Order: sequence, then C-alpha cells, then structure tokens
Amino acid sequence: MTRLRRAGLAPESPLAVAADGPGGLRLVALDAGARALGLRPGEPLGRVRARIGVPLHVRPADPEADAAALLRLCRWAGGYAPGVSPFGPAEGGHGLYIDVAGASHLRGGEAALLDDLAGRLARGDVPARVALADTPGGAFALAAHGPADRILAPPGAAAMHLRDLPVAALRLDPGTVAGLRRLGLRRIGALDDQPRGPLARRFGEAPLLRLDQALGRRPEPLAPLAAPDAFAAARGFLDPIGRQADVVAAARGLMAEIAPRLERAGLGACALRLALHRVDGLARALDIGLSRPERCPERVAALVSLRLDRLGAGLDAGFGFETVALTVTATGAVTVRQGVLGAEPAGERVGALADALAQRLGRRLVRLAPRESHRPERAERALPWDGADPSTSATAPWPDHLPPRPLVIFAQGEPARDVLAAAPDGPPRRFRWRAREHRVARAEGPERIAAEWWRAGGGPRDYYRIECEAGRRLWLYRDGPHAPDRPAAWYVHGIFP
Amino acid sequence: MRNPSTRTRPDPGIPSAGIPARLAALRTALGPADRRPGPALPLGLPALDAHLPGGLALGPPHEVAPAEPADGAAALGFALALCARRLDAVPGEALIAAAPGLPLPHGHGLAALGLDPRRVLLLETGGDAEVFRALEAALHARCLAALLGLVGGGLPLKPGRRLHLAGEGPDPPLLLVLRPAGLGPPNGAATRWRVASAPAARDRFGGIAGPRWRARLERCRNGRGGDWTLEWDRDARRLRLPERLAGDAAAAGGARP
Repeated sequence: MTRLRRAGLAPESPLAVAADGPGGLRLVALDAGARALGLRPGEPLGRVRARIGVPLHVRPADPEADAAALLRLCRWAGGYAPGVSPFGPAEGGHGLYIDVAGASHLRGGEAALLDDLAGRLARGDVPARVALADTPGGAFALAAHGPADRILAPPGAAAMHLRDLPVAALRLDPGTVAGLRRLGLRRIGALDDQPRGPLARRFGEAPLLRLDQALGRRPEPLAPLAAPDAFAAARGFLDPIGRQADVVAAARGLMAEIAPRLERAGLGACALRLALHRVDGLARALDIGLSRPERCPERVAALVSLRLDRLGAGLDAGFGFETVALTVTATGAVTVRQGVLGAEPAGERVGALADALAQRLGRRLVRLAPRESHRPERAERALPWDGADPSTSATAPWPDHLPPRPLVIFAQGEPARDVLAAAPDGPPRRFRWRAREHRVARAEGPERIAAEWWRAGGGPRDYYRIECEAGRRLWLYRDGPHAPDRPAAWYVHGIFP
Repeated sequence: MRNPSTRTRPDPGIPSAGIPARLAALRTALGPADRRPGPALPLGLPALDAHLPGGLALGPPHEVAPAEPADGAAALGFALALCARRLDAVPGEALIAAAPGLPLPHGHGLAALGLDPRRVLLLETGGDAEVFRALEAALHARCLAALLGLVGGGLPLKPGRRLHLAGEGPDPPLLLVLRPAGLGPPNGAATRWRVASAPAARDRFGGIAGPRWRARLERCRNGRGGDWTLEWDRDARRLRLPERLAGDAAAAGGARP
C-alpha cells in the first residue's frame, strides 16, 4: 500500500490490494479508508464487495514489486549500519532488521538513532514501527506487537518488555499460536513460565527456539543483504608460487574470470587490489589504479607486471604465495566506442601509457586546468588525466583575454631588494634579485590585480612586465601602494620566456 | 621478328630518366643508418633548416640547455615553442616529464606562448632516471606528438642511447631534453642547443612583443652548427629572424652603450 501511494498509484480511497488466496481473491492490504469501513486483511473480496455499500477500489497484488521496494528500503537503511537484512517469510516479509551493534554511536546513541530512523521514515511517508532490542526476535516482537510505535528496550531488559506481549509476537505459525491459546498461554511470559519438556513434546522445538531467540538464550544469525555485486576472484595454489611471471599469470587468469561478470554488468574496473597471501601467513596487497575503466586481462596483467617490476625485491615472496586474490575495488561504466579498423584510437594508447607510468613510477599524469582566481599563482590547478579528448572536452577553456602571463611562475613572490623606482607608482628602474643586479631597459604596466575580498590577507598588487638590459624578461609586482613612511615592497613573481 | 627496342626498354620499376637520382637514393638507402634522413620537423625558417637535415629529426633526442643559469626560462620557452610547432602540425598531445625541483610551466604562460595547455600532459617524477624511463615508455607507446624531459643533471650517454633506440621506428614523436646550464657530457643527442634571452621585439608603441632568443646550435648530426637570434611568432607558431629595421636597435645588434 505504501509502495502504491509513493508511486502515485493510489489516488482513490478506500483502496485495497487483493491477491489469490484460498477460495478466490482475498484482501492483503488496506488503506486507512478501507480500514475505517471495518475491513480486515484476509477477507474474501467477494464477501467484502457484498457487505459494504460503497465502491471499493481494488488493485492486484504485485509481490515482486513489493520485494523490490523492500530491497530499496534495505539499501537505504544500509546508511545506518552495514548489517541490514530484510524480513523473511517467518516475519511476514514487511520489514527489515538493522544490526546497529557498534554503529549507533555514529548517530549519537541508540535513542538518537531510533529517533532519526523514525523521523526519516515518517518524512518519507513510510508508516513504520521501530523497536530496538538485544535480539532480532525481541526487536521484532516489540515492533510488531509492542505498545508504542517507537520502543527502545535497554540492554538486558528485553525479557521484561516481552513478557506482556502475545505469543504471536514470537514468529510462530498460526496453528501453534492457536494451540497455545487453547491451553491458555496467551502471553510470552506465561509461555516462558511453563516447563519446557511437555511444551516441546506437544508443539515441537519451534516455540522454544523462537522464545529462546527472542530472549537471547540462543543466537540467531541474520543473513545480511549481500553487498551489491562484488567482483572478485581468488585462486589457491597447492605448490606456492614465487616467481613474478607466475604471479602475473595468476592475475591474468583471475581477471579473465572477473571480466565476463564485469561485462555483463556493463562495468569496467577503475581500481584493483591484488592480495598475495604468503605461506607463512603474511599478506601483501597491491593497489592498482587505472585511468579509465578496464576489463582486459592482458592489460591488467601488464600493469601487475610493471608494478612488480617497480617493487623488485620489495615484494618478498618468502617461501611463496599460496593464495592470490584479485578484487575490483572501484568500478566505472564502460562506454563502448566504435573503433577504426586497424587503428587504435590515440586516447586509448595514452590511457595505457598513463596506467603504465602510474604502475612503473607510481605517479599520475596530470593536465593543467584554469581556475577562476585573480591571483596568478592560484589561477591554475592540476587535474588527473582523465582521457577526455582535449578538443571536445568539457573542461573550461583557457581565458584568452588576459595580458601576457609568464612561462614560469613562483608559488610565492621572491623579494627584490634595493629597488629604485619612481614614487609613487613608477616602474622599477633597477633592482637586485637572486644575487644579481638587474637594470631595467623597458617596463610595461602597471597591471593592477586586486586581492580577492573573499580571502583574508593581501592587498592589490601592481604588476610590471620588465626587460633587463641583458634581455631577460621578468614579472615584478609592488605589494600595495607606496606610502611616505613605508617604502613599497617589490617581488619578482615570474619569468617570461 | 623481335623489335630491338623492346630489349632496351627499361624495367618499368626503374625510372630511366633519373639514373643519378636513383643512384643517390640507393646510396642513401644503403648508407649508414644515421645518414638516412628520417621524418623531421621543419622549423619553417630556411636559414635554420639549411643547417639541419631538413629540420629537427623526429625520434632521437634533442638537447636544449640555457647559456647561463638565469636563462632557464628562455630555454624552456624555446623548447616549448618547438613543441608548439610540432603540435600545430599534427594532432595529439605533448608530455612534459620533470625531475623534482625544476620550474614547471604555468598554464596561462603556455597559452601566451601559443601552446594549448589542454594538450599538455605533465608528469612530476622523482628524479632524472624516472624522467628517462617515462620518456622511453612514451616513445614506445607512440601515442604522443611531442615529449619534453626536464632533467636536473643532463642526458648521459646510456639513457641517450636507450632513447635513441626507443625512438627508431615509424611515426616517432619530437623528443626534447632540457638540462640546466653547464657543460654537458657527450651524448647521443641529435642536436644540442644553447639558448639565451635576447631583447624582445618591440611593438609599435614600444611595448614588449614576441619573445626573442639567442639560439646557438652547438652540435648537429648531419648538419652544421650556427648562431641565430630567433623571434617566436605565437600566432603563426613559427620562428623567424628579427627584421632588421633601422629603429630596432636591439635586433640589429648595434647601438650598444
């Protein structure tokens, strides 16, 4: 019902969802309007239609879409803690467990976590009852049959909370519940007080197992939702391998195992981790980054080989590696492009070169990109090479309206000493820089570059482009205006070619 | 009865008229490997190209060094100007591999020199040896149009030989190695340039126009050395000799104080 409402498929009320059951269609879910009419889940649709006088809107049930919606909710709940498992058939399938052990402090404690979870669900228009207890069974019982929408059972106090709940809260099948009720055992506390032997003889292990699980006397492992498609492969070796060629061959074989899976998902590996487990228990992990998504085993093997080349003796094989595991740690979508017959596009080869250099030298290719800043030293930045075609790439074009900029720029201006300049705003005539006297033959300027008001520090600078008598061209600036009591400071900021 | 002219008719594969030309071609083909003219980047300046074997040979390394330590930016500018000329002629990208501590080009400065910064890849390495390894890998990859290595030492004989070997083959890029000032040991470089700043060209208003360098070709395989004052035209991406206008004292070389 919630799924339909969120999808905008439930405009009318009363609305019911019906599915095939014993004796024809039966109601499985109702909205508030239908509940107000006194309808109950499980009633045969035909009888309901005959009983109520108002038209009832009925939609067919779609268990697959329900399961998908629950899965989406589980993925969302993964933000609270990694261990999330949806309800199975025993719980009715309309909810999920979150194992918050060790993760509640991230939200400021269990109470805060519960408030946050309930608040977010309410804002998302998902009606929910949440409970937190020591055991999954206890949490389920409190959430499904507890006295409030939001219950926090403190550690160790779950048994007390559970005693007053009906036995149906123990996830028992309806036959067992009915049988227990016939014996007068309506509450969990009453069931817990009974001798266990006769109970087990009459109803089997199930009620005791569920009771113990809810009270924490027996463990109840939850099957957490599988992480979204992990791409990994491992291979064990009876005879440990130690030679580089063998490791490379193993990596190639593992990638060949992973590649079809990646291909089915339309993905490529952006980062790989090759874990080498030595016979004596030491493990070594090599991280391999790729400049673009890749799934070709040969290329991965070549990169592994280059990486091992670089490690050299640093990769201590000891008595050999007995397990080699390859995991894809980051994936990216592979865009399939039409190639030219007989010619590999240059971008592909540059990508291969970038990867090879990254493995061989451990350094990445970068490309300069402009940055919007008045300050010349901050007006560019290095971006990792991404394989984009420079002519068509979406990177910002370089501005061409700037006055000429020097070829080499210093991160910080180097002070020029003994500057002789006409006050108040004349260009320098003579100065000393890098232990050398420079006489200015020609000067251009000033070009005033104001400080960026959104950053602290610095005043406007007056830049001059000067040429020495020796023919060298420098970029000087005067930091701030000249004042009578304080001579202006001059700095050399760059060199023109 | 056979026509005697059919016997003397030359083989269709051999052009009869160009026997001397054919002999010359054969001589070049059979001569020593370094005498064979490979692909080259013409500098577009007859005065310069006459000293070079048709231009800067593509593949083998060329060495550029500043005349004095203070001319580092001029040498870098000259090397990047050659890269810009190469990138103007062919599509592709240029790689600059630099040893630590050396000044790297500023993006806006590259644009001011006429080299599109988006076509320049930078690689900061841990030392000269890594620069040479990166250049060698890039030569083998054959995917870049121009390579420039900035090294702190020089181009020793062994890496020079390796670069030379890696550069052999079809479709080689332009390979330049920029070393700091000082006397470099002999190496396998095809040309060795020594570059110093020269007073820049003046525009109509007396401002500083295009950069000028004093470039000395110290060594050139299959060519001869020379000494020129060159002016870089960023819009045409070509080097030219300064015009000897009467008012242009700096270029004319006269009117020294």
